[in-house]
Amino acid sequence: MAAALPVRASVPAAGQAVKQHATWSPYDDNGGTVVAVAGDDYCVVAASTRMSTGYSILTRNKSKILQLNPKCVIASAGMQADQETLHKVLHSRHVTYQFNHRKPMACPAMAQLLSNTLYYKRFFPYYTFNLCAGLDDEGRGAVYTYDAIGSYERVGYGCQGNGKELVQPVLDNQLKAASPLALPPQQWLSSLPLEQAVDLVKGAFVSAGERDIYTGDDVEILIITKDCIKTDRLELKRD
Amino acid sequence: METAQQGGFSFDLCKRNEFFAAKGVQHPGFTKTGTTIAGLIFKDGVVLGADTRSTAGSTVADKNCEKIHFIAPNIYCCGAGTAADTENVTGMVASQLELHRYATGTQSRVVTAMTLLKGHLFKYQGHVSAALVLGGVDFRGPHLFTVYPHGSTDSLPFATMGSGSLNAMAVFEAGFKDDMSREEAMALVARAIRSGVMNDLGSGSNVDLCIITKDGVEYLRNHEYLQTKTYERQFPQKFASGSVPVVRERVYDIRRAVQVVEGEPMEMEVS
Amino acid sequence: MGTTIMAASYDGGVVMGADSRTSTGSYVANRVTDKITPLTDRVYICRSGSAADTQNLSRYVQWFLEQHGMELGDDPEVKTAAKLAQTMAYQNKNLLQASGGLAGLIVAGWDKHHGGSVFAIPLGGTLVKVPFSIGGSGSAYINGLCDRLWRPNMSEEECKAFVVKAVSHAMARDGSSGGCIRTVVISKDGIKRSFIPGDEVPVAAGELPPPVRQVRA
Repeated sequence: MAAALPVRASVPAAGQAVKQHATWSPYDDNGGTVVAVAGDDYCVVAASTRMSTGYSILTRNKSKILQLNPKCVIASAGMQADQETLHKVLHSRHVTYQFNHRKPMACPAMAQLLSNTLYYKRFFPYYTFNLCAGLDDEGRGAVYTYDAIGSYERVGYGCQGNGKELVQPVLDNQLKAASPLALPPQQWLSSLPLEQAVDLVKGAFVSAGERDIYTGDDVEILIITKDCIKTDRLELKRD
Repeated sequence: METAQQGGFSFDLCKRNEFFAAKGVQHPGFTKTGTTIAGLIFKDGVVLGADTRSTAGSTVADKNCEKIHFIAPNIYCCGAGTAADTENVTGMVASQLELHRYATGTQSRVVTAMTLLKGHLFKYQGHVSAALVLGGVDFRGPHLFTVYPHGSTDSLPFATMGSGSLNAMAVFEAGFKDDMSREEAMALVARAIRSGVMNDLGSGSNVDLCIITKDGVEYLRNHEYLQTKTYERQFPQKFASGSVPVVRERVYDIRRAVQVVEGEPMEMEVS
Repeated sequence: MGTTIMAASYDGGVVMGADSRTSTGSYVANRVTDKITPLTDRVYICRSGSAADTQNLSRYVQWFLEQHGMELGDDPEVKTAAKLAQTMAYQNKNLLQASGGLAGLIVAGWDKHHGGSVFAIPLGGTLVKVPFSIGGSGSAYINGLCDRLWRPNMSEEECKAFVVKAVSHAMARDGSSGGCIRTVVISKDGIKRSFIPGDEVPVAAGELPPPVRQVRA
């Protein structure tokens, strides 16, 4: 009896060859696209409002933009839970800052704070892809673009989220000079009049909505000028 | 070395591919049609419906593709799954049935199409990923089947398939009645597909319908055209003529190389 | 295909019964499935396990028996059909496993030499002649019930009542069984099919009664 057992045990039973165990991921991609374009005296920030997981739409109306003060906003794509947490942290830090300094935080300062906040969670990052946008101390449009763990740079325009592969080349084509090395030297960034910039952003979102399944429903557009933040809304296809 | 004469796929490179995959090499994906397809039996026949979006990952590969395939003059088939598989498997069965009609001189039967499909899909053990809704009318009346990639089939009065199948089935379960009129049936199928188009990200764009009765087929391509662009550019980018420099120009006169010969029409043997 | 299937012999033949649910994961792909498939005029098979495997296995067995019947010049015997199904299940069990499903089958029917008989073909491809057999995931819940209720030499009506009772109890407890109950009675007089809609399935203890069926205009 005992002799027979090892022989039987050496035969792998069906289904035991590949051991499978359930895995769980703390991350989910809830889709969406965010875009920001800086001008000489304005900044346009736009974000799609569809929130989804897999092939299902969770809601058609979820804002991805945090308005911190009249000169600075943060737009985030990625995972909704992390967006919400990050926005809450930044909002709280901004309130504290105002108690201490008796003024709203300037856009470049907020950009640095966002970077620090992201890097603080270097080994368990927020699954968010952010843009910080607004007006700088001289009143010029400012856009900062980030990776998930806080590397950032100031740019003339930026794009994050699911639709970035579709939108970024369009913005490059319209807003960037041929090459920074071209001779005679051309202006590195071309600045559009506000109406044309808004039109460009709307056009880019409509096109992204045609081809990216995670971009759709609505676009929330913020136009930041020295006087106020104006909001606009554009319908996209809902399929 | 003699090789066996056999049809079908070659699996020679499967081991190699598994080895590469284990080393971390990413394989190219293929166009999967995240899809809503549906069909139901009504008083005089069958209505089939499909959306028209084809996706590759999260991008839309085709905004207006055709997912209702021809099988026989009295049989059509909606396909979900890998686009190449659904197109080829329906094409193969359509060709086999056409030859069978030449041999027997009788109308094709829906069960024959179903049996050919399930036999093929079962042979490939689910590797040919075609999920189908097959419908048609033959001398025994209307028939509707679902065919799964592994080769199982169901005969049903109403059926849905694809990533939007749950959305569409919810509409059917709420609204299906026996012996509906043609108009009722078309409206219900269109509504089922529309619920997939609006609520399932894998499905989108337009609604195709195909109505099969004993008197004939009505294929309504883009029966419902759901949404157009929501915004027209106010400052559209216009490229002036000459924006692209002409580097080189060469003109060929093809008349020197081509000879046109007029001929008599040939007699064709009929009967 | 999570399932409840069964077959029981009575005085003049056999009664076969099955639920009607086919599920893929948590989604019910078909709620009116017919899991009792004819092999010949007087021999039927109850299928459980992978739908694709058992449908195609049945197709092959039908085809073999059709030819065998012609050579024999008579209806094939139940044990012949059962042996064929068993051979297919046993010889292809590696393939049946590869596709993620196993075949659990019950072959039953009537022939003039042996009367009504039931053959169970459980997972590995064993073949046993039994007075009655239950199968599928739902059968785990009704072993005791069936042992208690089955008696030899029942009448057709008693046997059918037994089958319906057993299947409905399994459907009440097993999440992967449900829908309607289909039965087939096979005797020397031929076959009699019957169908019990979901809202007429007998209610088990502790269950809510089914909602009153809405009649649409």
